[in-house]
Amino acid sequence: MTRTVSVLSAASALPGPTVDNATLGRRLGMDRLWEQWVDAFIGTRTRHLAVDLDSGEIRHTLADLAHQAGSRALDAAGVTPEEVDLVVLGTATPDRLMPTTATVVADRLGIDGVPAYQLQSGCSGAVQALAVTRSLLLGGTARTALVLGGDVVARFYDLTADLRKLPPAEFVNYVLFGDGVGAAVLRVGEVAGAAALRSAFTRLVGLGREPGATLEWFGPTEDRNRPAATEDYKAIERHVPDLAAEVVEELLGELGWARDDLDYVLPPQLSGRMTALIVERLKLPQATEVSCVAETGNNGNGIVFLQLERALARLAGGQRALGVSIESSKWIKSGFALEGL
Amino acid sequence: MSTLRSVHDFVTLVRDELGLPIEESDLDRHLDDVAGWDSVHLLALCSALERATGRSISLPAVLTADSLGGIYATAVDR
Repeated sequence: MTRTVSVLSAASALPGPTVDNATLGRRLGMDRLWEQWVDAFIGTRTRHLAVDLDSGEIRHTLADLAHQAGSRALDAAGVTPEEVDLVVLGTATPDRLMPTTATVVADRLGIDGVPAYQLQSGCSGAVQALAVTRSLLLGGTARTALVLGGDVVARFYDLTADLRKLPPAEFVNYVLFGDGVGAAVLRVGEVAGAAALRSAFTRLVGLGREPGATLEWFGPTEDRNRPAATEDYKAIERHVPDLAAEVVEELLGELGWARDDLDYVLPPQLSGRMTALIVERLKLPQATEVSCVAETGNNGNGIVFLQLERALARLAGGQRALGVSIESSKWIKSGFALEGL
Repeated sequence: MSTLRSVHDFVTLVRDELGLPIEESDLDRHLDDVAGWDSVHLLALCSALERATGRSISLPAVLTADSLGGIYATAVDR
């Protein structure tokens, strides 16, 4: 039985134009001080949003973006929809509770008669999807999988909110996140020119811990007694760098790889500034960092695929890469390892 | 017209605007040691100082301060 799963391609879809901090600040009624603060403490310069800031209209659904990303990934892999015998999608923000976005996307792509799983997941969702897919492929359930992940957080933007009156745990969400979806095509066996997915794991480490981030089913404009989205950024700053370092150690130990063997590292994408701090903590100076959060914002379930897309374009035969994602909701650490074929 | 005329006014502003229960004795404390302080408070405090003083404040300049007292000095000594 084969022990190798190859990543044939990765692709992404980001909605609308690039939204910089000045544009977002103007729309939210924030001033020059706010922009300077975002530069200094968040370090995210731009993002894409599914909502049109001028009209407030939501112009892209998760299924729209997943359809685009999935099509691009299939094209890049040279794989037809008929060849796909497994679909897995991770998201925290499905368009509807039913039908799942996974099944809607499969339908739009012309994929049918196969398992289509959807994971309800946060920032570790892409790795969860990769890990589940890898297990199913290695177990013989399928041969060729389309794996997707992404989020549309736009409906959690209350463009009428007075940001100055929001508590910090809600306030930061307006600058951290962006909308986007990514996808990858995985196939059983070693495929020349692709990347072997040598490992992919996720582990819940939230026993007795308060959630670091929450997201409700309802949006911020609905009249409820609790906020629609919160971020305990202090807990995140405290725990994520250590958890990320643990993931690196675990992957290296499992694979018998040395730190010097690493050519690339795909670190957690919280914000431009937090990611820089995490990279410092990982102590992998010889590995080239593959990050995009400063330009795309944190895309939740999507951003690992955006990193994967960038990494695959550079990963040569024999080169090695590690990816790390930490989900602060109920605290999940996750990681994966790639090797160029 | 500035409503920020003394250190006492500044302490009141921090307490009222940020909800942090500080005393004058906290002003020389390093920001990391001020209970409840974080970077989001810095933004709220600078905005409140702009309103109170009627002056524009440069956040990069404020970032050189490592205590609430230092921030106060930056806001009033221009």
